[in-house]
Amino acid sequence: MVNHALTRQVKILNPAGLHARPSLAVAQIVRSSQSKVQIRTPWKTTIDAADVLQLLSLGASQGTELTLSATGPDAEQVLDALAQRFADQFDL
Amino acid sequence: MLRRMKLAESHVIPDGDEGNILVYVNPDERERRYLAETLKLDEHTLASALDPDELARLEFEPDHVAIISKRPQNYSSAEEFMFRVSSMGLFLFADRLIVVLFEDVPLFKGRQYANVSSLKELMLKILFSSVLHFTEHLKVINAVSDALEAQINASMQNKYLLNLFSLEKSLVYYLNAINSNGKVMERIKNSAGKLGLTVENIEFLDDLMIENQQCYEQAEIYSNILASMMDARVSIVNNNLNWLIKTLTLITLGIMLPTLVVSIFSMNVKFPGMDHPLMFWIVLTLAAASALLVRFVWWWKKW
Repeated sequence: MVNHALTRQVKILNPAGLHARPSLAVAQIVRSSQSKVQIRTPWKTTIDAADVLQLLSLGASQGTELTLSATGPDAEQVLDALAQRFADQFDL
Repeated sequence: MLRRMKLAESHVIPDGDEGNILVYVNPDERERRYLAETLKLDEHTLASALDPDELARLEFEPDHVAIISKRPQNYSSAEEFMFRVSSMGLFLFADRLIVVLFEDVPLFKGRQYANVSSLKELMLKILFSSVLHFTEHLKVINAVSDALEAQINASMQNKYLLNLFSLEKSLVYYLNAINSNGKVMERIKNSAGKLGLTVENIEFLDDLMIENQQCYEQAEIYSNILASMMDARVSIVNNNLNWLIKTLTLITLGIMLPTLVVSIFSMNVKFPGMDHPLMFWIVLTLAAASALLVRFVWWWKKW
């Protein structure tokens, strides 16, 4: 059980940025976990990564570095899964 | 922007110089001239490939076949939950395939491109990727619709309702585009002999048509659900607002009556018992009792 927040830096590699399909993929990964995950942008906006509305409104383009922060029993695993998806460009 | 690709060992790989698969993303004036004058693409068909409002269609030219098909446009956060469609042109020659797109999309990614043996098969697989793209966007629209619904249940603003209207409009665009793609697929099947499609190509096309039909039905279901629930959602927002006004009215009445009691005793005239030593506490008690009276009437009338 992780009580403190674990963080991970990821970079958006998709040419179209964090658009519709990646946003849904992120929200689904977070919802399937037991942890609470937040995403912080370089322009200091923090959003709930389980909320597809907030993800779609983020407007993060290619090259943006995001800070993922997770708290919960499977925080490490959910951060690994998210980092993997960002790295493989969500298979898109 | 031009990207050249080629088929090698059943895969689509980049080939900067010799590739016979030419992908033009939003071609500039010079590239358009080259496509029209050197490669003999019809200027009107070329313009259609870049026009998001153009319907999908199939055209036979002397040395090539032109297909205008629809695909979802990349979502932008500035669109406020409006999902749009764009067009794509596929120009199949005997020895090359030209793809013209309005915006850059990862065209050759996905399992469907793992084994491609000919340009005709590749053309069909590009159409298949459009169907998959639509299906995935429909999942996103459904997720957004669920999230907006949850917000509306506690909201008094029009913002989320307007977002739902955008989604409803998006689904109408999607339905039209998917239907239009379906018509093109039917035409391709009817012209299979003229196009020189193999038995495997036709089998794949049959699967593609089924996938497209399922995608259309899914979009239709989402569209019907959104349209039929819209009135109910408008009522929920109205009801939420009514609850807020009711609560504020209760607070106003609860303050108004004690104020009246205290005001009466504050008049600059003589009144009975004004010299009584406990008069201050009596007035306060009467004010508190009047506030409780409002609460009691509220409870008794079940307002």
